[in-house]
Amino acid sequence: MKVRASLLLRVAFGAVLAIVAGAGAGAQTPGQDESNVVDQPGYQPTPEEEQLTGAFEKQEVFFRTSEAPGTVVIDTRSRFLYLVQPDNRALRYGIGVGRDGFQWSGLQKISRKQEWPDWRPPPEMIERQPYLPRFMAGGPGNPLGARAMYLGATVYRIHGTNQPQTIGTAVSSGCFRLVNEDVIDLYGRVAVGTKVIIKQAVAL
Amino acid sequence: MLKMIPLLALAAAVGFGGGAEAQTTLKAVQDRGALICGVNQGLEGFAIRDDKGQWSGFDVDFCRALAAVIFNDPSKVQYVPLSNSERFDALKNKQIDVLSRNSTWTMGREGDYAVVFAGTTYYDGQAFLVPKSRNVQSALELDGSKVCVQPGTTTEPNFTDFFETNHMKYETVHEAGVPEMIAAYQAGQCNVMTTDESGLFAMRLQLAKPGDSMILPDVISKEPLGPVVRQDDVQWFNIVKWVNFAMINAEELGVSSKTIDDALKSEKPSVKRLVGTEGDFGKPLGLTQDWAARAIRAVGNYAEVFDRNVGANSKLGIPRGLNELWDNGGIQYAPPIR
Repeated sequence: MKVRASLLLRVAFGAVLAIVAGAGAGAQTPGQDESNVVDQPGYQPTPEEEQLTGAFEKQEVFFRTSEAPGTVVIDTRSRFLYLVQPDNRALRYGIGVGRDGFQWSGLQKISRKQEWPDWRPPPEMIERQPYLPRFMAGGPGNPLGARAMYLGATVYRIHGTNQPQTIGTAVSSGCFRLVNEDVIDLYGRVAVGTKVIIKQAVAL
Repeated sequence: MLKMIPLLALAAAVGFGGGAEAQTTLKAVQDRGALICGVNQGLEGFAIRDDKGQWSGFDVDFCRALAAVIFNDPSKVQYVPLSNSERFDALKNKQIDVLSRNSTWTMGREGDYAVVFAGTTYYDGQAFLVPKSRNVQSALELDGSKVCVQPGTTTEPNFTDFFETNHMKYETVHEAGVPEMIAAYQAGQCNVMTTDESGLFAMRLQLAKPGDSMILPDVISKEPLGPVVRQDDVQWFNIVKWVNFAMINAEELGVSSKTIDDALKSEKPSVKRLVGTEGDFGKPLGLTQDWAARAIRAVGNYAEVFDRNVGANSKLGIPRGLNELWDNGGIQYAPPIR
């Protein structure tokens, strides 16, 4: 089942729920519904748009954990991705996360890495949005951004974005997006086999 | 309505004296119709009074949470601004019911002033502010620094100990106050400023170009800040302590001012005990069943209070750091309600 790209885009609800269920997705929690943000293939953000400020800017922070340095911890509630460093530190990146109904948690490993990934919208998506390209080669206007890191055998990835304004929001279909500069930085620091822990807010 | 018997039993069991006092602090607060809270005279993020006389801040929100628990109304607080030297005497002399004023919990203070700290609301600590152009990531890379510091505080020996222990050379630049320190830093007379982390974030806001400087994540001293009460009223001590714990537990359980109505319908035992739909944990403290839900609805959980006043949604933008929950990289940890 090659439906990867569907996770990044708005598709028929049923189809995505089936995928989410198939990937062993976790509980849903109430949160902000920002699902009215749609992907914009071909859009190329300006350098100013790609410059994050404040908490979502990449920074080294205090972070206590029993996980080994090099581990990736994704805290979807606060929209941060941590790359664990020695001495109670972590590199923290701002991320965009799955919207309501597309949230999951668990333990995965990075199974594959890809620079400037191509995008192939799946058939169900083409049906809904016939104007979408059938294929889009990797590049600056690609919704998957500059780099992609695949999470185990799931359909989810950590990837870049051509919509930097979605960092800090819950708009994706389960993937984790970083601005391109950050995803390139992270890509250079993690290898295939890296442990990735995805934490979700607790359900009431 | 106050049930005296369990109170006395509790006081006796814990071994505190004075349980048989005629007037408890809670009763006094209830009779008065307002909580009297000692706060800072003005500290960005912690306690600030606006031109209309409205108080806000991290420490102020703790007073508001207490008032919400007691009166179901967070506005029933009288604020008493206090200086460093006045604060513990004001508490001892019963001018205030609780001190919520960025005060560091130390053994000496509990011994000298007949007061007791009711937990830690904010883990502060001494840190370093540097120009981003120095390109350092760690306080261990500060060899050869010129360090601006206020003399006569514990800040100076803390930093000199740290540099010497780590075999780093330094030059000390004494500056009497915060404005002087900022001026010296901006004039290039020093390339590090050091004081408590929360203070550095406030000082960074006053720089001409705040974005050109950063605060290193290293914290080199322990400055646990928390609310303080008198030692003679264990019921009141427990109320203040558990209001803090309830807000931390609320964050951990996903209960916030936005989700409180859903939480009241929750079937999860830990959530039900927190919001009072199961058990009656407030009763022995002289509180209502929904005591914690009142505070969460009025003021929010720990994360909401932190983010709004000092964290990501505030001017200061202080990272959670040590104040993250224990299961999320920090050390904030509250005993369970059960």
